[in-house]
Amino acid sequence: MKSSPATVLPSLIATLAVLALGGCTGTEETSEEAPPVFSLAWSEYPSWSVFGVAHIQELIDKDQGKLSAIEKKWNVDIELQEADYETCIMLYGASEVDAACLTNMDALSPSLSVPSVMILPTSTSDGADACIVVDSITNVTQLRGKEVHGLEKTVSEYCFVRNLELLGEQESDHRFVNMDPANAAVALQLKEPTVEAIVVWNPFVMQTLDKRSDVKVLFDSTSIPNEIIDAVIMSQSSLDKPGGENFACALIDAFYAVNRSMADPATADETLADIGAKFASLELEDMKTVVKQTKFFSDPEQGKGLLTGSELPEIMKKVVAFCMNHDMVDREPKIGYDSQAEADLRFDATYIEKVQTDL
Amino acid sequence: MIRKAISKKTRFSLGFFSVLALLLGYTLLSDYQHRRNPKDTVIPNWGQLGEGVQKIVTPDRFGERWLLVDAQATGLRLFLGMTLAVALSLLIGIHMGCFPKFEALLYPSLSLLAKIPPTAAMAVLFVIAGRGYALHITVITFGVLPTMAMAVYLAVKSFPDELQFKAYTLGASHSEVVWTLLFRFVLPKLIETTRLTIGPAIVFLIASEVAFESSGFGYRIRLQYKLVAMDVIYPYLAVLAGFGFLIDHLLRRLERRLCPWSQHR
Repeated sequence: MKSSPATVLPSLIATLAVLALGGCTGTEETSEEAPPVFSLAWSEYPSWSVFGVAHIQELIDKDQGKLSAIEKKWNVDIELQEADYETCIMLYGASEVDAACLTNMDALSPSLSVPSVMILPTSTSDGADACIVVDSITNVTQLRGKEVHGLEKTVSEYCFVRNLELLGEQESDHRFVNMDPANAAVALQLKEPTVEAIVVWNPFVMQTLDKRSDVKVLFDSTSIPNEIIDAVIMSQSSLDKPGGENFACALIDAFYAVNRSMADPATADETLADIGAKFASLELEDMKTVVKQTKFFSDPEQGKGLLTGSELPEIMKKVVAFCMNHDMVDREPKIGYDSQAEADLRFDATYIEKVQTDL
Repeated sequence: MIRKAISKKTRFSLGFFSVLALLLGYTLLSDYQHRRNPKDTVIPNWGQLGEGVQKIVTPDRFGERWLLVDAQATGLRLFLGMTLAVALSLLIGIHMGCFPKFEALLYPSLSLLAKIPPTAAMAVLFVIAGRGYALHITVITFGVLPTMAMAVYLAVKSFPDELQFKAYTLGASHSEVVWTLLFRFVLPKLIETTRLTIGPAIVFLIASEVAFESSGFGYRIRLQYKLVAMDVIYPYLAVLAGFGFLIDHLLRRLERRLCPWSQHR
């Protein structure tokens, strides 16, 4: 068959146009009775896997179009998307999801383009981030001039820099060298001679201490309580949508429900095993340590306490300063601490309170 | 009729149209995304991309021009890795093609290795090579050597018997047959295989930079990805595409220069 460009082009354009139109109408399809759909991106981490467990326990159905107990209660349809941590940041930054599980630090960068609200702190690192060194290093001063390996511009480097500060060291005397945490842990476990100090997070902290007996924790995040906060971050525009607040409340409700089943001796072990299933190949006993080092804000009082407490503004000042010093944000994000504030990132306990009065 | 030749003008305008369609598609996508969120940085518009380009070519606080530093690091790693891979594959391929004992010895393990993605075997390579250049070169070599050696070996196998007999009849020694005939027969195939494996080599190198490095394209792309700074990442990808296009072009020219006897253009 003969086909010149003149006949190919119009049909090509027509096809593209049809595809584009199809794509547009497809996203706007919602029937009137169905509850509004909202989505949460989460990655495998102890206090975030809670949402995966909420699906297992039939509190939230992870698929769109299916409702479980909590979704019916708040009349929202929640879609749970599991992804890599970095992909979660990207999905959230692209407004492809309404909320994501992020740390307070990693929420700053996307908040510059997507005004955001921390609706629920889930846990804080209390030993889950650690600097592990070979036994011959006994003092932080011995780290000067040595390469310390960890992932740059993350909580690992933050934990390192903050601990140097607390120990009276200058950041400029130390070298933090970029390496993926999984590989840094392997390098230390394999006794790679150039790798004598690493800063990693769990499960790598536990795995490394488990596999090699001649290494130890030089310092960890227990010295900076509540500074590394794992949380659910939701975009302001999604909160303003009809049903947005109910979505926030439903997530909070589900989070505390799973926490209650973790506290209940009858269901505790099974819940914990579910939380740890994909996180790492750790025994139940190890998982108990992991959960201890990742301190859950397991009831509304603790969550509210953090969001409205007087130490949070001080902490965020340090975190923002770190991000500015390490070129992680283009401009200084504005932080707000009440429900009215005009800010890039807002901390708001309103939705926790709403769920609490309901419990 | 299929496979009918078209005029140069038609060819050029169709190619131009496809690139234009790409750019237009991107503009539309970016526009759509900015209508959803005017401050979006995931699909930056052309102005934002301009700022990103500014950012990667002007010195940062430490006086480093990112693009320059990264291009140097990645370029050298890729060059060293590919050089080693080409040299080894030539050596191995010719030996396998010429000597059936080598063939019997190496064929099974090479065809097994060819199926292992080096990105998944990073830990093993890490134990073998340690860190730094050694690691990147090993990753690239491990990734592309089996394919390249196999291509050289098959090219040697396809060397016509009559040419070999003729050369021996005219009194050529073994090494003369190998270097003046076989090598020239294999060379265009080798260059073409190199051209086709540069793409995978870049993928492997970037994966190992993502995991282990503090400079280079893989390192920068990963860090900036986490900061949702796509205005930096897309120009980097454009540079990679341009670089690939350039290498491709240079290798084609090299093939034409070195092997004017070669059949394919």
